[in-house]
Amino acid sequence: MDVLVCIKRVPLSGGKFTITEDGLDIESAKLGFTISPHEEVAVEEAVRIAEKEGGSVTVLTLGPPDAEEQIREQMAIGADRGILIETDGQEWDPQGTASAIADAINADETDFDLIIMGNESADASGYQVGIRVAHKLGRPIATGVKGITIADGKATFERPVKTGRELYEMPLPAVVTVLDGLNIPRYPSVPGRIRAKKKPIERLNPERPQPKLEKTRLEVPAMKAKQAQVLGNGPDAAPAVVEIFKQIGVI
Amino acid sequence: MALTVSREFTDPSAAELLPTVRQMCDDLLAPRAAAAEEAGEFPREVFRTLGAAGLLSLPFPEEHGGGGLPLHDYLQVIEELASAWASVGLGVSVHTLACFPLAIFGSAEQQQRWLPAMLGGELLGAYCLSEADAGSDAAALTTRAERTQGGYRVSGVKSWISHGGVADFYVAMVRTSDDGPKGISCLLLDADSPGLSARPPERKLGFSASPTAQMVFDDVPADGDRLIGQEGSGFGIALAALDGGRLGMAACAVGIAQAALDLAVRYAHERHQFGRAIADFQGLSFLLADMATQVAAARALYLTAARKRDRGEPFGVEAAMAKLFATDMAMRVTTDAVQVLGGAGYVKDYPAERYFREAKALQIVEGTNQIQRVVIGRGLRPS
Repeated sequence: MDVLVCIKRVPLSGGKFTITEDGLDIESAKLGFTISPHEEVAVEEAVRIAEKEGGSVTVLTLGPPDAEEQIREQMAIGADRGILIETDGQEWDPQGTASAIADAINADETDFDLIIMGNESADASGYQVGIRVAHKLGRPIATGVKGITIADGKATFERPVKTGRELYEMPLPAVVTVLDGLNIPRYPSVPGRIRAKKKPIERLNPERPQPKLEKTRLEVPAMKAKQAQVLGNGPDAAPAVVEIFKQIGVI
Repeated sequence: MALTVSREFTDPSAAELLPTVRQMCDDLLAPRAAAAEEAGEFPREVFRTLGAAGLLSLPFPEEHGGGGLPLHDYLQVIEELASAWASVGLGVSVHTLACFPLAIFGSAEQQQRWLPAMLGGELLGAYCLSEADAGSDAAALTTRAERTQGGYRVSGVKSWISHGGVADFYVAMVRTSDDGPKGISCLLLDADSPGLSARPPERKLGFSASPTAQMVFDDVPADGDRLIGQEGSGFGIALAALDGGRLGMAACAVGIAQAALDLAVRYAHERHQFGRAIADFQGLSFLLADMATQVAAARALYLTAARKRDRGEPFGVEAAMAKLFATDMAMRVTTDAVQVLGGAGYVKDYPAERYFREAKALQIVEGTNQIQRVVIGRGLRPS
């Protein structure tokens, strides 16, 4: 099994974001970078599949030259090689991104049996690239998956839904987009980091296609004030609490 | 809570490792420490996770599966771990102590056979030197290894063995002749060797999650290739291992003291009396200032000793100084941290009293602080 995982360099969330003067980007000079949690489980799953079935794990990203950092981190987890589709830092729209990824996959000497992506990126959350890549490659895709089983040259994908779970059985090669909770990713190991430094990264430099989706402006949403209502003090509050319980159907 | 100490490393890869170490401290160590210490539960699975991440082999060469880090950088990782959970920092240091004889004095053949599993993280080690009547005077040990055809049979009882009963391998200093320190040899034994057993763990003041037990050697067979180094060279190996081990204890002490300091500072800014934070009273602020200064001085001392070792220079005296100063410092700083928290420092709702109990152990282990002074004193000669 040769597995390809697509990752994206995104700013470390949790911090406070400031928007650049032109309103088109976030101020990233002082930010750390990472990949989305969905993609961390994607890499972990790929490494587990390769450990069990044999084969290789390749990590691909489209991003600035600095995205090598994210590829090396995933190599420390166990990915064998990397493909970095270099941009000049400009954002690519989902169509352009998917085309470049599909071209890179088609041009690669490895025929990937499975392509795993995060369900959506932690920054743009477009939900598009996985589906567009699968479409361009003419491969089946399952999205929002939280369980992967490989057996007899076929993949079974499990997707949680409100009433239970859906199972999809697919021939390989296939594409799948996954959610965190799929597994618990391991910590990168020290020997893994040492090996990661020596693993090969191939760099591609395609032209950025004319974007069909333009970003016009970013805005930081106003913080929503939390509302708290004091229903009363001590036993006096009880009737109001009971009333609310009735409203929400608890009693 | 992760340490906010800004760190300098010799090896850039240690700097890359630090965020992972701090993440593990936050995820795996800090949230469990109090409950596991209270229950006296050894966190074996935490050591498995650390081992899988390569944190049980940091100072050993890459070709044997180690992390290839200088002691200077490895010790700072120990300090970080100990600040989140002292039993874990101590345990990693003990494991390193147990791997050291094979990694430095073992033959290439022995290293190839056993070292990868010991450094790979699956196996946990213990180091057996002390006996009931051979503590500070370790050369008085009486556990005997009688020669047999093709090996030895070992009989005796080792005391105060960290990881006793939970370790997968035991490095034991045993008597192969009556020739005092020159009659001591070093053997590497598997935990499941017939006749090797642990007595029930000691009931201790602190470090309850890190078992300490007597190990009973009842005619334990050992093949000849279990001998590390030459027959009779065991005492030198034991002392060489302890030089590095003492720096591990110094790093643990600084980690515990830093955690106590951080707690005291946080509390002193939250706790209000007479209409202001108690940190605003000069009497208390001077106490915190002295604590912070002592922690920084102890850290500088152990790092200086480590750099000497990393340059290949003799460092035994400096290691003894670092162990002495850092563990005495930790005792003072954790005592003061209890004082800063007042009644809250004396109850188990806060970890101050735990830090205090843990610091006391470090003044005793791997050479009491009196023995450290003996080592330092011997090193003082007119030039």
